[in-house]
Amino acid sequence: MDMSTDNLEVMQFFASMLIVGIGVALLATGMFTSYFGAGKSQKIGFALLFLGGVTLALVIDMAFGTIGVMPDQFVKSDFEDALVSGVSALSGMIIGMFVILFVLMKVDTVDDLEDLDLEDLEDLDLDEELKKLEEELNQADNDKEDGNSEEEK
Amino acid sequence: MNTELIISMGLVGVMLSMLFMGLLIAYYGSSKTRNVGFLFLIIGAALAYYLTQTDTSDVAFWNGMLAFVGGMVGGIIGIIVFLVAIIKS
Repeated sequence: MDMSTDNLEVMQFFASMLIVGIGVALLATGMFTSYFGAGKSQKIGFALLFLGGVTLALVIDMAFGTIGVMPDQFVKSDFEDALVSGVSALSGMIIGMFVILFVLMKVDTVDDLEDLDLEDLEDLDLDEELKKLEEELNQADNDKEDGNSEEEK
Repeated sequence: MNTELIISMGLVGVMLSMLFMGLLIAYYGSSKTRNVGFLFLIIGAALAYYLTQTDTSDVAFWNGMLAFVGGMVGGIIGIIVFLVAIIKS
């Protein structure tokens, strides 16, 4: 693999894909908003959709010269390589995510009970705790009854 | 050339997923998932090493990376434009 950075073509690769990225994002968000939005939001969605479509059309025209409105700014083969690179990397990321999810689902991710620290629970005397709770409840009841009898007097 | 480009950039994508998700899982995971996170980190590092060592094609690797980063930045800008339009409306 050629790892040298001497022949970087920022305009051909970075700028072209930057515009494509903006176009795709506007198109996707526009579709989403125009479909699910209502009233003003829906109008904004249509505007975004239009803007995304125009952006993509212009960048394709700049690369392939199909419409003839924009000057031929990008070299066709470089633009194709840039597009292939971007799509490949995104596909790779998606595949990686799927692999990660698959492994996580297959691996038993629940901690065993043996790993839990049960010493604190063993030290607890449940009977004593119950007695304490009962005493507290009784005290609360007594306090309420005392309050009621004083009010009646 | 395109096949090599697809393979190398696909590997870059898988490497990025493995490294970032591995980092997250290794840091926030429970005792069992943490080990899997470390495994993902090792796979990501191995992929990165493989990508730097392979010299079997004439793919301009950094041009591909530029294209990928450009697409990602463009996508983020597009989403920011969408959010601004929605918030300002």
